[in-house]
Amino acid sequence: MPTVIIQKGRDIPLKGRASAELKALPLPSECIFPFLDFAPRQFRLLIKEGDKVLVGSPIAEDREHPGLVLVSPVSGAVKHVNRGDKRALLSITLSTDGQQTPVQHQKFSPESLIALSREAVMEQLLKGGVWPFLRQRPFSRTANPLNTPKSIFVRAMNTDPLAPDLDVILNGVEREFQAGLDVLKRLTPGNVYLCFDAKAKARALTGASHVESVAFSGPHPAGNVGTHIHHCDPVGKGDVVWFMEAQDVVRAGRLFLDGVFYPSRIIAVTGEGASLRSHVKTVLGASVAYVLGDKKDDALRYISGSVLSGSDVGYDGGVGLFDAQVTVIPAGGARKFFGWLMPMFKDYSFSRTVASALAPQRDVSLDTEVHGGLRAVVVNDLYDELNAIDVMTYFLIKAIYGHQIEEMIRLGILECAPEDFALATFACPSKVDVGAVIQRGLDMIEKEG
Amino acid sequence: MGNDLIRKAMDDLGKNFSKGKPLEKLHPLYEAIDGFLFTSGAIARKAPFVRDAWDLKRVMVIVVLALIPSTLFGIFNAGYQAQNALGLAHAWPDAVLRGLQIVLPVIFVSYAVGGFWEVLFACVRKHEINEGFFVTGLLFALTLPPHIPLWQVAAGVSFGVVVGKEIFGGTGMNIVNPALAGRAFLFFAYPAQMSGEAVWYGVDGVTRATPLATMASVPAGTTGVAALHQAGYTWSQLFYGFIPGSIGETSKLACLIGLAFLLITGVASWRIIAGCVAGLVSVASLIGFLHVKTVHPVLPFEWHLVLGGFAFGAIFMATDPVSASATRLGRWIYGFLIGALVVFIRTFNPAYPEAVMLSILLMNIFAPMIDHYVVEGHINRRTPRAQAK
Repeated sequence: MPTVIIQKGRDIPLKGRASAELKALPLPSECIFPFLDFAPRQFRLLIKEGDKVLVGSPIAEDREHPGLVLVSPVSGAVKHVNRGDKRALLSITLSTDGQQTPVQHQKFSPESLIALSREAVMEQLLKGGVWPFLRQRPFSRTANPLNTPKSIFVRAMNTDPLAPDLDVILNGVEREFQAGLDVLKRLTPGNVYLCFDAKAKARALTGASHVESVAFSGPHPAGNVGTHIHHCDPVGKGDVVWFMEAQDVVRAGRLFLDGVFYPSRIIAVTGEGASLRSHVKTVLGASVAYVLGDKKDDALRYISGSVLSGSDVGYDGGVGLFDAQVTVIPAGGARKFFGWLMPMFKDYSFSRTVASALAPQRDVSLDTEVHGGLRAVVVNDLYDELNAIDVMTYFLIKAIYGHQIEEMIRLGILECAPEDFALATFACPSKVDVGAVIQRGLDMIEKEG
Repeated sequence: MGNDLIRKAMDDLGKNFSKGKPLEKLHPLYEAIDGFLFTSGAIARKAPFVRDAWDLKRVMVIVVLALIPSTLFGIFNAGYQAQNALGLAHAWPDAVLRGLQIVLPVIFVSYAVGGFWEVLFACVRKHEINEGFFVTGLLFALTLPPHIPLWQVAAGVSFGVVVGKEIFGGTGMNIVNPALAGRAFLFFAYPAQMSGEAVWYGVDGVTRATPLATMASVPAGTTGVAALHQAGYTWSQLFYGFIPGSIGETSKLACLIGLAFLLITGVASWRIIAGCVAGLVSVASLIGFLHVKTVHPVLPFEWHLVLGGFAFGAIFMATDPVSASATRLGRWIYGFLIGALVVFIRTFNPAYPEAVMLSILLMNIFAPMIDHYVVEGHINRRTPRAQAK
């Protein structure tokens, strides 16, 4: 098995790691199904407020691909549909009945999966509601059922700050995980790359077959899917690859073995603001408040996902459908007198311009303060030190600012997603949101073909 | 808490600068002072939610700190040279006092006039005042002869800030180093005051050629080193800086202390500086080795290293990341060519003895081209996979 050693990048030693203990939470009384996680796809609702749903009942279908449905993770009733501007679907709130009665689909034996036809696999994934968990690069979005990807990546590692432990997540699901890998294999003429941490112990990973196993080691972003794709099978103009999170591979496996939509999700509760930090098993769409079990505190920020790539859903928001982590950190934002002139013994920086760089930092406490105003890029050799994809970030940014689409593609923007530049944004002294610029470039390419 | 009182006073003051209020147009000025006194307190609204503690202000403060040894020595040396020329006591307290009288006005005018342009452009363009000027203002002053007329300081810094930087869009967008652009403007506009033998002492009738000027007029049959010795210059004098010259450049030791600070903090690109030294050493050695016919006498590289503004330029000017090459390989090439050009100009050019300023400015202009070829090389390496199919 090959091991890819990532040299560039850096780990942020954030305080508040989750313990390896796994707690099963009881079923919440409500869950939130967020449609924005699938942006820019647009959905048409198949249910209305008050309707009864089962686990796996279709609740919305894609406007472009009518067969592509999102399904309910709980059995119960539709409580509320939340719409935004121009009646855009934001989320729906479902109340649970505690039964978790599933919609039954066809079952397959583990041995038969490897011989299934591509069409049969696609049909079951689409009908069973697991398809939306399959995403694509370039452009990081739900996989288009009309494409055939040149390869499929299973992301079974995470190097984000305080990331969930895949050994905990994949403990005891070897059979389901392998079944998921087998069905993914039917979707591509190329390889299924199983990318995991070189230190991983889970038997689901070390014993996986029918796939190309690739171990990665090194600092963040060694665990980003963009890094994996870049080092195994990079995407160029006209290429499409698909990827799926390891937990969702288990979901795919169960859909075929048990014939039902598996609604569970293991989430790491992390960050110094969370009082009980461990891995918890709950259903998709559980709210942050429910997962935390803490009281609301306005001095804290509630992030679904990691501090680098998550989203601020708030205390009452639902955990993102692709997130296996909740991070709670202090909001911060007090204005400090002559802050920039102080030696900074406590402030964390990748640079060596602060006094705290004199000693190694462990368990650092970070809040959401930006620490400065937006400026033109001056320190222009920093970004590439923090990116495991071989692109010249500074010149890519320039090409995007200059609307040079051909140049962006030549510089490799199609391999990139905003999350791959999170560390660059973190470290930029001009406080440029590098990921947002990359997203702008990707949007330009999509719009202008 | 005193800080809270100041914070409240600033907030009250700030109301006068908000939209629709009489001082609205000066909002960037208020913002700059506010941002000078207090950290911004802004919060990340989307991922990444945590950010590094440093900002551009911090970077600039580090560079200013790195310039402090050169500034202090420059103050001392300006006074020391002047006291010497007048035949007065040149013990260090006298020299420092005299030096402060000479140098502080130059630094003050540089900051005041340059700062005026910064604020004006920020107010007109409605953007924040960029702290890059902390560095430019001091850097420019340190490149000047100590006894320069103050109106020339004002003219030079105006040219540097306005033409060298602001017309391109401000810090981060400039093509050449603004401090050097101002210096070059003065060099060509007022050559009598900027070089020659009379400008270094500020005392009528007292003249002495700087080491570089000495090199420009060596009698036939004398080697360069002998000529410098005849003029009373030893290598260690040039290294420690007890010689006439521009305020900040004379002491190579002070520059090296600054360099150490820049490298420890990781603010300056060591590749550029190493490239400069490599270029200078290899071309100087090559010329010495080949015995080519030169306009000025050939000097061994160890003399070139301590001569003129090379150390100051390579450490503080060439490393400006905005006007330098932005690629790794490009930085080596850019630095190497600066070092090489310095020796070429010093040895072959009959007109200007001071080569560092011109070399860096020229390479500033060429930096985008160097980067272009480095980036094209990178793209060609990527192409097989980026354009596969």
